[in-house]
Amino acid sequence: MFDFVKTVLIALPKGFYTTFKHLFKKPVTLQYPKEKMPMAPRYRGLHYLEKYEDGSERCVCCGLCASACPADAIYMEPAENEKGERYSEVYEINLLRCIYCGFCEEACPEEAIFLGHEYEFSNDSRDAFIYTKGQMLANRPTKEKPFKKIIRKVRRIF
Amino acid sequence: MEKKILTKYIDDPNQVNIDTYLSHGGYKAFEKALKEMKPSEVIEEVKKSGVRGRGGAGFPAGVKWGFIPKDNPKPRYLVCNGDESEPGTCKDRVLMESDPHGVVEGMAISSFAIGSHLAFIYIRGEFAYPARMMEKAVEEAYEKGYLGKNILGTGYDLDMIVHTGGGAYICGEESSQLNSIEGERGMSRMRPPFPAVAGLYACPTIVNNVETLAAVPFIINNGGDWYASMGTEKSKGTKLFSLSGHVKNPGHYELEMGTPLSVLINDLGGGMLDGHKLKAIIPGGSSTPMLLPDQIDVKLDYESLAEAGSMLGSGAVIVIDERTCMVWVAERLIHFYRHESCGKCTPCRDGTGWLEQLISRIERGEGQPGDIEKIESLCGNIMGRTVCPLGDAAVMPIESSIKLFRDEWEYHIQNKKCMVKSEFAFK
Amino acid sequence: MSDDSNNINLTIDGQQVSVPRGTTVLEAARSIRIDIPTFCWHPKLKPAGSCRICYVEIEKARTLMVSCATDVAPDMVVHTASEKVLQGRKAVLEFMLMNHPLDCPTCDKGGECDLQNLTFKHGVDDSRFDFKKYRHIRDKNSTFDDLRIGSEIIRNQNRCILCYKCVRANKDIFGEQDLGAYQRGNITEINTPPGEQVDSLYSGNLVEICPVGALTNTDWRYKIRVWNTQTVDSVCSYCADGCNLTLWKDKQKIYRATSRRNDNIDEGWICDVGRYGYQVPMAEDRLTTPLIKKGDSQVPATWEEALGLISEKFKKIKDERGGVCIGGLISPNLDSLSLHTFSKFFRMVLNSNNVDFRAGYKMLPEKADDLYSKLTSLPFKISDIEKSDLILVLDSDLTKEHPIVNLRVRKAVTQKNASLFALNPITTQTGGIATDEMVYNIGTLHALLNGLCISLIDQNLTQYENARDLKNKLSPNTIEEASRISGIDVARINSLAKAITEVKNISLIAGELLTSSINREQLSGAIINLCLLAGIFDKGQVGVLSQAANSKGAEKLAVMPHLSERSILKIKQIWDKYPDNDGLALDQMIRSSIKEELDSMFIIGSNLMLEYPDGAVVKEGLEKLDFLVVADICETETTQIADVVLPLSTWVEYDSSFVNLESVEQKFKAAIKPVGFSLPAYQIINKIAQGFKTPLFETIDELIPEIKTLLQPDDSQNSFENCAIEYIEEKQNPEFEIPLLITNELHHFGYFTEKSNSLSNFCSEAFLEISPGLAEKLDVKNGSIIRVESEVGKINLPVKISEYIDNDVVRAYRNFSASPVNILQMRKRNIDRVKLTVVEGT
Repeated sequence: MFDFVKTVLIALPKGFYTTFKHLFKKPVTLQYPKEKMPMAPRYRGLHYLEKYEDGSERCVCCGLCASACPADAIYMEPAENEKGERYSEVYEINLLRCIYCGFCEEACPEEAIFLGHEYEFSNDSRDAFIYTKGQMLANRPTKEKPFKKIIRKVRRIF
Repeated sequence: MEKKILTKYIDDPNQVNIDTYLSHGGYKAFEKALKEMKPSEVIEEVKKSGVRGRGGAGFPAGVKWGFIPKDNPKPRYLVCNGDESEPGTCKDRVLMESDPHGVVEGMAISSFAIGSHLAFIYIRGEFAYPARMMEKAVEEAYEKGYLGKNILGTGYDLDMIVHTGGGAYICGEESSQLNSIEGERGMSRMRPPFPAVAGLYACPTIVNNVETLAAVPFIINNGGDWYASMGTEKSKGTKLFSLSGHVKNPGHYELEMGTPLSVLINDLGGGMLDGHKLKAIIPGGSSTPMLLPDQIDVKLDYESLAEAGSMLGSGAVIVIDERTCMVWVAERLIHFYRHESCGKCTPCRDGTGWLEQLISRIERGEGQPGDIEKIESLCGNIMGRTVCPLGDAAVMPIESSIKLFRDEWEYHIQNKKCMVKSEFAFK
Repeated sequence: MSDDSNNINLTIDGQQVSVPRGTTVLEAARSIRIDIPTFCWHPKLKPAGSCRICYVEIEKARTLMVSCATDVAPDMVVHTASEKVLQGRKAVLEFMLMNHPLDCPTCDKGGECDLQNLTFKHGVDDSRFDFKKYRHIRDKNSTFDDLRIGSEIIRNQNRCILCYKCVRANKDIFGEQDLGAYQRGNITEINTPPGEQVDSLYSGNLVEICPVGALTNTDWRYKIRVWNTQTVDSVCSYCADGCNLTLWKDKQKIYRATSRRNDNIDEGWICDVGRYGYQVPMAEDRLTTPLIKKGDSQVPATWEEALGLISEKFKKIKDERGGVCIGGLISPNLDSLSLHTFSKFFRMVLNSNNVDFRAGYKMLPEKADDLYSKLTSLPFKISDIEKSDLILVLDSDLTKEHPIVNLRVRKAVTQKNASLFALNPITTQTGGIATDEMVYNIGTLHALLNGLCISLIDQNLTQYENARDLKNKLSPNTIEEASRISGIDVARINSLAKAITEVKNISLIAGELLTSSINREQLSGAIINLCLLAGIFDKGQVGVLSQAANSKGAEKLAVMPHLSERSILKIKQIWDKYPDNDGLALDQMIRSSIKEELDSMFIIGSNLMLEYPDGAVVKEGLEKLDFLVVADICETETTQIADVVLPLSTWVEYDSSFVNLESVEQKFKAAIKPVGFSLPAYQIINKIAQGFKTPLFETIDELIPEIKTLLQPDDSQNSFENCAIEYIEEKQNPEFEIPLLITNELHHFGYFTEKSNSLSNFCSEAFLEISPGLAEKLDVKNGSIIRVESEVGKINLPVKISEYIDNDVVRAYRNFSASPVNILQMRKRNIDRVKLTVVEGT
């Protein structure tokens, strides 16, 4: 009898209490893709290339990102523009190879490449994962992310 | 007081003419050397006199002449250094424009002594008038047969070329001067080899100051012992001092070595201008460390000044009075040296530029704490680490200025203005 | 103290070292692998002591000493890494970095920059310099202040650390005046004199020795980062000097060539032809497949088709008319393996001696063992030139023909006090430093040499016993007559004769004008006479310099129709047989073809239409051939008329070797894979031989011992006898009286360097060089067009007034496909003569 009281009358309501309590709580899961998680400021997603305020590219094709890349995912070819400046004529990242370690943004001396918050870039062909310079420039977020400042600070330390 | 030997006839306007010069006993010494002495005897006599290089380094001239290798078959050259570019110095100019034949005779005797048949006199570009006088003197000497082929029938040939420079301070340094004569960019050479071994066109060359060479005829005429009897034990003879700055009677004065500085400033120079107080003395041209007023009794010779922490240099005494800001002085000096650095070696080329920017920042009142230490450290990085002495010359007055007048520098940085209020300072 | 007078013992960082007297502390330290950093030091330049980075601390010395300019002294104690030294180095770096821009990401030197490396090493990561960096701004719109100071050189003064290495090398080593330092102090800049450009043949070296990225060249600029490239050891394939190169490549592309210092040959300096010559293999329009002529056009074909056709045709000719009806020409710019295989194919498979490599020679001799080949077989060493007290240069514009030999001559004269005598029909750049440059009337060198011989005999300056006897064999046989013919004063000839006998060591150098002359044999005889009389064979060296990268190899590997007994013996030794027919030299092949005696020719790597010194004859000769096979790297005038065109690989695409003018075999390695379907010449030849069912080799290793045997120097001493020399004045047509010299242009060597963009930037079109005097007479200026007309042809050329010509000789440059100047030449004429008519632009 005591056992009955202990299991049915006490334990069951106690268990159901937890269940019903969560019924009225805000759910943890999100209705992706309708809803999206807020990103951590230093989340490393899809790369993008930064520009100067006058619209010119920051990247000078120095090759340090390609050197720093542990997965050898970056390929670039420099060229000279009409002003005699160096720029990258070809800048490609193989997103299938990339491990999103962020070494490239850390190596970049010109603050040109960043890993953004974009993570939805699935595709159905392998070629589409060769991410070109045009795509990376277009992917630039409209307003500056706060983590840029953190990255600058980190770079100053090392 | 003044002991006029080199400058005895300096005030005679006709001294530039060879006839007047001859009437004063000119070219007697040259004749004597040619006819009665052997080159080695001339060198011996000059060694005995103990005359030291008057350009600044103070190296005994006779010893220098002895450095020419005896077995070198190449021709030898004599170069007379008339590139008097040390700020404050105006002694060679006087000799060249008022007594050019004395210089020519001295050069001729020296050429004979070292066995040279071609002598150059290098005059700085700005000295147009002295150069004209020297050219005229050389021409006259050729006419009278004191230069050219078979001089005075002794079979000795000597040609003399008056060479004007482009007006670079660095060309007063002997190896740069040789480069300049060769038509190269005026940049100092590495030593060794010294010019006495491989100088002009890689041939043995002796470079001497105008004043040194001008003293040679007197040594030959009167003997080395006579010359050595003047001056102190190690600094012998007389020397021309150029007095400038805040004194009543600036100018050039010929004094016996070892005369106290106070005699030059107070007695000959007539004391301070407008009765102001003495603040500092630069005793040997702008590139030497400064002296304080309490050192005014120091004797003017190589050793005493070295003991006092400065140098005799070219004998240009610059007197600075109380109205002058020492940071301003340093800025003027470093500006000069930055401008005149030849650009060959890194510490001098870049260091002077940096120092000028730092010092002028302090002078403008934009100095930051730590600037003085930075200047001291930069001076240390330049001092003794350059090809030629220009680097040392640039930093020595600054180092001594900071050492002696540190409070003034600090006042500049802390209060963004000058301690001294006068026209010679930032207001 | 030191144990003997020549060696000095000292201590560096606690290590005892013994070095010869006169060594600098830096060299002593490096000899025991102690590294002292340097910027302004260069092994071949005099120390300047300007960068001050090489400080060392020497005990008892007052201050830090620069090790590059301090000689070792007995019992010196040196510290290279003491605290004081490191502080000094750091201070110098701080000064250098003061105004140095932080543009390493865009700087092409990044990754191989001395300043960058040292900054990393010494950890100078922050600067106390808090002012704005000084900018040498030329152009406000320019981001980097780049200034083009030469066709191929870009200067960025901001990066310059003023080590003056470029200025010093340019002046002291190359003898050029086109680069200097301007301004003073920290605004000093390296620049050209106003209106000038750095366009000398050696300009690329200035970029190579720059320790920072202040001088960069356009071919490497913004192309690739240095750490992404791999290096390959190679050898230059142009002139016969055989400079050693390093090729920098990535994947299928070569990015630049730099010098690989070899003190026996190049001393670390290479000319721009070698430096930018790698661009030829990189040309866009390389042939990639075989082409077969069908009707009027050439259509691409497979190797099987092309080789099948060639084998079939050659077999048919061989069976019907004999192998002697096929002629073979191979370029001396090809490697030893190819040359050897070529000779083997003709001699063993076709049983014919019709092989030759001398496309640019007039009137080749028809027999072997001539005086000329005797002279060329004499040993000659480039490095021995600087041991000479006197250098005699005959008929050679060294700068254009052998740029590196020219540097040695210059070194001997300017640094070792040798005297130089240049005997040329025009004044040359090398002659500028000569004691006496004798510009004789063109074509009269043997008369002048006769005069010199007579002078030696008459002044009793010779120990040669048959001197009197020799004098009777000479014509002209008086010095006055020789002087009148050659136009050189008797006194000058006499003083040269005296100078020759007074010195202990002589280098005699003869060049291209002699080797390509019809009178080659007579001139060689005259040189032999001179050498016998002056004893040059005993007290010096005689170098008749071969022209192309492997000309010497071709001579040694018997790629010639007429061979000496000795060579024939050697060949019989290795192949057991030797065709007994008389071979045809190239010259005869073309004549035979015109006479329809020769049916076919096999040409490898040679643009005969442009190279043969008689345009009309070669055109007729080649067009009359029944079957012409040409293998080449690009389409040329010769491939256009070929029946079968084969794509040829260049020297960067396979391993082989060149034999330079000293007879030194130098191996090179492949940098890239063959472009397209092209093949190395030796493989092409072997594949054709396979069609005959007699392959020449299975693997190339089989050929190596054969080549080695042939390249072995002859042990037997050549004995020389005096020769009769007669000067006969060449008849000339009074209408055409201006002598014409045709040589290579300064920046071009052979017909293919036009494909190199960099070299074309220096000079892209043919021109006519005339003296200022002649220009005045004709009333023309630079760029005016002149019609040059000879008895056989005419061509329009722009004029360039040259300071190097001061007589009425004019000079034109061959191997420009747009202006084939060889149509002006006649193969039988020693001196081509032209008349000039101004077309436009007076």
